[in-house]
Amino acid sequence: MLQYIIRRILQFIPVFLGVTIILFTLRAVIPGDPVRMIAGERAIPETTYQMIVQNNHLDQPIYTQYVYYLSDLLHGDLGHSYQKNRSVLDIFAEKLPYSASLALCAILVEIIIGLLVGIISAIKKYSFIDLLLTLSTSILVSMPVFWLGMLLQTFFGVWLKGWTGGALSLPVSGAGGPISAYPPILHYILPAVTLASVSLAFTARIMRSQLLEVMNQDYIRTAFAKGLSKRAVIVKHALKNAMIPVITFIGIDFGTMLSSAILTESVFSWPGIGREIFLAIGQRDWPIVMGGVVLIVIIVMIINLIIDISYALFDPRIRYGKKKAE
Amino acid sequence: MGKHEITRRNFVAGAAVAGAAAAGAGLLTGCQAGGSANTTTDGGGAASEKKTGGTFEYYINEPAYIDPYNLKESEGTMVSSCLFDSLLSYDYRTQQLVPAAAESYEASADATVFTFHLRRGAKFHNGDPVDATAFKRGWERICNPNISKAPSEISYHLAQIKGYKEMFEDKKATSLAGVKAVDALTLEVTLTAAYADFPYILSHPALGPVPAAAKDFDSFTEAPIGNGPFMIDDTWKHDQYIRLKRFEDYYDQKAYIDGIDFNIVAKVDTAYTEFQAGNLDFAMIPKGQIEAALAAYGESEDGYTSQPGKQTLLGPESSVYYLVINNTDPVMENQKLREAISYAVNRQAICTAIFQDTRVPADGLIPPGIKGYHAGAWAASYYDIEKAKQALAEAGFPNGEGLAPIKLSYNTGGDHESIMQMIQSDLHAIGIEAELEALEWARYLGALAEGKVQIGRLAWVADYPIMENFLYSLFYTNNGDNLSKYSNPEVDKQIMAARGVLDDDARIAAFQKVDELIQSTTPIVPIMFYKHNRVCSERVNDFYFSPNIIPDMVNTWLSA
Repeated sequence: MLQYIIRRILQFIPVFLGVTIILFTLRAVIPGDPVRMIAGERAIPETTYQMIVQNNHLDQPIYTQYVYYLSDLLHGDLGHSYQKNRSVLDIFAEKLPYSASLALCAILVEIIIGLLVGIISAIKKYSFIDLLLTLSTSILVSMPVFWLGMLLQTFFGVWLKGWTGGALSLPVSGAGGPISAYPPILHYILPAVTLASVSLAFTARIMRSQLLEVMNQDYIRTAFAKGLSKRAVIVKHALKNAMIPVITFIGIDFGTMLSSAILTESVFSWPGIGREIFLAIGQRDWPIVMGGVVLIVIIVMIINLIIDISYALFDPRIRYGKKKAE
Repeated sequence: MGKHEITRRNFVAGAAVAGAAAAGAGLLTGCQAGGSANTTTDGGGAASEKKTGGTFEYYINEPAYIDPYNLKESEGTMVSSCLFDSLLSYDYRTQQLVPAAAESYEASADATVFTFHLRRGAKFHNGDPVDATAFKRGWERICNPNISKAPSEISYHLAQIKGYKEMFEDKKATSLAGVKAVDALTLEVTLTAAYADFPYILSHPALGPVPAAAKDFDSFTEAPIGNGPFMIDDTWKHDQYIRLKRFEDYYDQKAYIDGIDFNIVAKVDTAYTEFQAGNLDFAMIPKGQIEAALAAYGESEDGYTSQPGKQTLLGPESSVYYLVINNTDPVMENQKLREAISYAVNRQAICTAIFQDTRVPADGLIPPGIKGYHAGAWAASYYDIEKAKQALAEAGFPNGEGLAPIKLSYNTGGDHESIMQMIQSDLHAIGIEAELEALEWARYLGALAEGKVQIGRLAWVADYPIMENFLYSLFYTNNGDNLSKYSNPEVDKQIMAARGVLDDDARIAAFQKVDELIQSTTPIVPIMFYKHNRVCSERVNDFYFSPNIIPDMVNTWLSA
């Protein structure tokens, strides 16, 4: 197992180099002058322009810039934002905890509701409840995230507050802190539900189909034949096997939620990394784009490693790092 | 030279200061600090006691900077204007310069040397004295190209000062030769050429003083220490909030409110929902909700001041949206063609259909609110389809015959596409065929700078409330912001001459002549002036939001 983990970690290096080379190639190809973007509609004085170009090595060939980038990276420097005049490391150190905590909350919502709905649907297949849950998840999948977010904001932030004379409500936006009248935990509810909405529906569907498939397996019939209760068969035998694809999906989804929660972060004004990177692309703020992508790649690779290791827990037949018996 | 008893806090009363010239003496005079007001007049004319206390919940988007070092956009300027006082301030209500950190100033007869007398006893938020050196330090910080990895983009405010070139451009000097702290309370500024509008430039919030603590650039940028009526509480929480609290040792009238929470909200719609939920005192109204806001919150009487029941602010701003035309383009160098385009655009239809009248048709380049504005300043800046057709015929293209399709370029996002589509339709009505070119923002800026745009769109927001800021910036030959590539030696000469006219009225008249000269050839097509689209909560009283998007937070008070 240890060997396997080391091998996987070493694989990070070529992946990392590949990603950064692709990004540098893209930044060379994509039109748009990052220095001009700093000033926007206003003209930037030529002297200022040249200073920014030189300070950021933008007058150098792209491969020289890449070498500078790698050199800085080895010194723990992710670069300096053109637009914000701040260290990229500082920016992400500030934002990553917010993205990670929101993604975790959303994953929790996804696991609790998604699995529950999937299991109930599978157990009560073709019943009215199954139909109702399937319909609900279909609606969630097809509902635009920003629209759902705005609906939740209006309902829980404005209407509920009005109906209860201010006694009951949820925060509309933001991550809390001293300026908020709400406890910080409440700030997670609406964005986490919104972020989880689509994935939750997918999780429920995967769970349902996997469970239905497993329930038709011979060993499940054997378990029933042994006289085990339905609950015992599902919990002890069926669920474990049905979980593997679900875990794979949830694991990948965590990485996606961490980096691509752009709409949720925008609607709820959540200070996460997704929107930061999205805006940086438009502004050609390459240090932020590079830093963000590198960070996400590392996180996703770590998550994938954890998922692969976790397979062994769910299916004892899966073992890593051991040679096949002759 | 006369002295005028007034404070910047009671200028609502309408007293004027001598920012205007004492022409006979060749001197400009400021004014003396005085007492403070504690009563207000409500809409009915009755005086009522202002209440102290409470925190004002203010909506902004994430600022670029709140440090004067690079105060280049509205969001940061709103915050910084509460943290810092420049030498002077501009009161849009009386259209006069009023004292801020300086109680008076004088100008030399040739408008090249300005001497400012600072208020005694003023302090920074950390207790340091606000002296002439602090201003010199602040300005040199802006002009120091080596102080940070990103040189300030706003050093151009100080480009008229002697020694600017040597310090910022040539990097040979470490200080501004033209800025001299004569003594603790006297600051003398020498310019390279006559520039009578210079005091107006110094009203810009970026040109405040900084204490010695500003040496630590990174920490100062995150939590600036100023001399204004509010001080920062904690540091700037990016994309979340900036908290300010009242500065109790402020040299002038203290604020009524205890503090301001600048709530950084990513989307206007979200901020408005927060406002409707009662969590914000000030927000921007999303497009399409103006009528509902007016019905729910009432309209401000002057468009800038919010009182309970009259909370929707729709006053014109100091900014203009215009079609930038490449005057060197082989087709667009035809003056009559530009004129035809200007007459053909139905500005009112754009303002109504797209912006629900939260924009006002531009009848010239200079917006209302800027001294020197007069209605109908640009002859061709109104909708007249017959004149458009006539001008088109005079251009050599009767009914558009013989004219190849022109290209209307714009950046994607915002409402630019809708605007350009309406203009395309207007041009079609007189026989001009136009193709639309939508470019991503980065590509659009590049195309503009490289002169690849035949007709595009741009906006200009005034840095200072003076005509010169529009005319020089947009039309002086080879100036960076002159993206229409307009060049007229006579205009250049007249701009330079007008800069040296000390008397305010005479100088404005001189700039109006320049404006008249420019408009006679329609180098650009003004489309509309921006208007506020903001709203305050019912508990907000006496909140004034100026045409250049700066709030007066000192006189604002909260009912409950």
